[in-house]
Amino acid sequence: MSAATATRLESERPKGRPRPPQWTTGAVIWVVLLSAPLWLGFVGGYTALASHVVVMALVAMALNFLLGFTGVMSFGHAAYFGLGAYGTGLTLRYLSDSTWFAVLNGVLLGGIAGTLLGILICRRRGVYFAMVTIAFGQIFYYIAYRWDSFTGGYDGLRGFSRQPLGVGPWTIDIQGNGTLFYYFVLAVFAVSVGLMAFLLNSPFGRTLIAIRENQRRAQFLGIAVDKHIWLSFSISCFFASTAGALYALLNNFADPTSMYYTLSGEIVIMVVMGGMRNFWGPLVGAAIYVVLQDYISSMTVNWMSFIGLMFVMVVMFFPSGILGMLRRRATT
Amino acid sequence: MSMLETRNTTKAFGSLIAVNDVTLSVAPGELRAIIGPNGAGKTTFFNLITGFFPPTSGQIILDGQDITNRTATQRVKLGMGRTFQITEIFPELTVHENVRIAVEAASGYSLHMWTSRHDATRVRAGIDEILALTNLTTKADRLVGELSHGDQRAAEIAMALALKPRVLLLDEPTAGMGEQETYQVAGLIRRLHKNSNYTIVLIEHDMRVVFNLADRITVLTEGTMLADGTPAEIAANPAVQAAYLGTAE
Amino acid sequence: MLQLVLFNVTNGLIIGSFYVLMALGVAMILNLSNVINFAHGNFLALGGYFAFIMIPYTGFWIALLVAPVLVAVLGYIIEQTMVRRVYNRDPVYSLLLTFGLSFIIQDVCRYFWGPNGLPLTVPDSLSQALSSDLFFITGYRVFMMVIVIVSVVGLFAFLRYTRLGVRIRAGTLDLDTVSALGINVRLLRSFNFAVGIYLAGLAGVLAGGQIGLNPNMGDDLLLPAFIAIIVGGVGSLTGTLLGGLLIGVASALTTVVYPSAQDVVIYVIMALVLLVRPRGLMGEEGMFT
Repeated sequence: MSAATATRLESERPKGRPRPPQWTTGAVIWVVLLSAPLWLGFVGGYTALASHVVVMALVAMALNFLLGFTGVMSFGHAAYFGLGAYGTGLTLRYLSDSTWFAVLNGVLLGGIAGTLLGILICRRRGVYFAMVTIAFGQIFYYIAYRWDSFTGGYDGLRGFSRQPLGVGPWTIDIQGNGTLFYYFVLAVFAVSVGLMAFLLNSPFGRTLIAIRENQRRAQFLGIAVDKHIWLSFSISCFFASTAGALYALLNNFADPTSMYYTLSGEIVIMVVMGGMRNFWGPLVGAAIYVVLQDYISSMTVNWMSFIGLMFVMVVMFFPSGILGMLRRRATT
Repeated sequence: MSMLETRNTTKAFGSLIAVNDVTLSVAPGELRAIIGPNGAGKTTFFNLITGFFPPTSGQIILDGQDITNRTATQRVKLGMGRTFQITEIFPELTVHENVRIAVEAASGYSLHMWTSRHDATRVRAGIDEILALTNLTTKADRLVGELSHGDQRAAEIAMALALKPRVLLLDEPTAGMGEQETYQVAGLIRRLHKNSNYTIVLIEHDMRVVFNLADRITVLTEGTMLADGTPAEIAANPAVQAAYLGTAE
Repeated sequence: MLQLVLFNVTNGLIIGSFYVLMALGVAMILNLSNVINFAHGNFLALGGYFAFIMIPYTGFWIALLVAPVLVAVLGYIIEQTMVRRVYNRDPVYSLLLTFGLSFIIQDVCRYFWGPNGLPLTVPDSLSQALSSDLFFITGYRVFMMVIVIVSVVGLFAFLRYTRLGVRIRAGTLDLDTVSALGINVRLLRSFNFAVGIYLAGLAGVLAGGQIGLNPNMGDDLLLPAFIAIIVGGVGSLTGTLLGGLLIGVASALTTVVYPSAQDVVIYVIMALVLLVRPRGLMGEEGMFT
């Protein structure tokens, strides 16, 4: 397809000022997140679900760093999420009792894998890039699946559980206490999200946004587009694997489905559903998706059709996502 | 010593010769206009100069340096600023943000994940200077995508200026504009030329703009250089009149 | 030893020809409309299931002819109602759309025909082994290869010699110009989509006869289809053809030397191609690069 067509297609995006976090939205969100264990029971929720939401929100926001802010489409992020989970699980099972060490290994495994693979793919663009990310994602799925002596294969990795956290002189019992674990997850989330916001507000972050807005113009300003895409991809994978590490701790379990490309698609829909151009969009999307999926799958055996229908509805009728629509209403 | 020079530059796409053995030389501080009928190869010529693709044969020389084999990004870094026929800007960002990205890129800060106060001050000064130069200071906080054509073009030129380019290549800067906006953009280009001494090469169809601004004019038809001279010489040239000016818009 | 290699190369060509059939369908839709059809494997399954419904009434041969057409018609309708609306938007939306369709079609199959395998009856004449030496080549497998070859040749001929085919090819190179020539691009895309789906449906009928039907039967063919396209070179159907055969044979040969790596080897090949020749075996420079 010609460059002119591509440029015109790019301009057909939902309007709105894309910026890193705005303070009122952030404030509301933090209040909700911090108080969740208090009111969750009253609405039929439970703490592990809240932890699940925060974990998925983190991986969705990691993807959004790449998709919403750099304009690059990765459909294989589940792989790095899964690697984070396996890294953590394998560490706890075979190496050590330290939660910190396990999380670190998870983060590094997924992050470094992403960084290395990024070198191979950062020159590709558009749907070709997406295809390659999917394909690479599957490599890790098959490795986890086949190497069953080490990873537990299709049944997944068991035989590990999160250990009480040592912070200085104190020990925090995240193992037994679900609420404490939730706050641990929230803390890691907060640090990650803070880091992301910081990066997006830097010259580097602005350059990423420029690349999203108009790659050709970015190129003609002397910006090293490929390098920036690679860095963005790498950073995104580090955050995704952090989420994966937390996921392993949440379930005391890691399995190959956490790497399968369908999960990648689900992460993308969370981002789009909440609002791709918004910093907090993915959190909103993740919350809705996780809760809905939990609810629907307990109601009917055909939950897949409903999920599929959700995908289709979002694409056809709510492309700018919830926060995108709210923002538009606020500005008109 | 010329600022920009092409020597026997040719570009062939298979059997189609889009640019045929074009040699020209632009002096520092000169404003050169390239004119010619549609399909004459003017934009392809620009693409060659800015590095979209390599020439089939010939050389391109910027300020004495042979850049024939350099990539587009490298040429930008060496001081080539370019605007496009269809304005290429960052539509959903403000004018200020557009220019800021350009200034940061020019200062080599694109990969910086934090800024020192010193850097930030420098950037701010650079932005203010460019906004003043292009008369966009009052519109700095508006989304570029929502501005008038003329202002969008000014913003695009502003971004190109951030690089402190040795030569500015403007591809049909007044394309699709009405009287008022043409006047605005032409005025900006004149100021950049006369007051700030930029070397400018522009492709234009609007003859009033061409004859008012240009120091020299080069005429291209079917990829070949038909004539090259001062506005008076070109206007008097019978071949040019026959090929182009007679049926000009 | 020779027999083992022969066995595996033949196997590889057979599985490779399936990859080719899938990949060509995906590639046609990708090349013209810039859409990655995640639901392709599910259309494949539908082909098999439609044949399943038809066979008791019409027998195998008619089902083979008609079922893919029915699936193609369904594909056409889906394209007209849904896929068409997302063409001019950010490509992420078309991906999400086909993704969602994949979930839906899968579940629909599960709903109507259950999650377990169903057999697809093929005529006895095809099922016999061809010889006792080459016992592993059943008539059905040869038959599958023949159908695939006929389809591929037919497809290439269609694209080369018919007006519609030439327009489709032109469209993959420059849709703007095609549109400017007054050709109805919408219809072109719809038809192209239907052709791609037809290939999926055909693959489904063939596969059903070999391995039986189940809602997820196409899943294992989708990623290899992508890889065939990447290895062969985006934009080149011949490349896709070669890519599919290559990864099929490579995968089969790997089972001889290193069986547990048979899934991964095609990805390794892809990684190598991306490192050494990113545009693929026969891809064009500048397409998405």
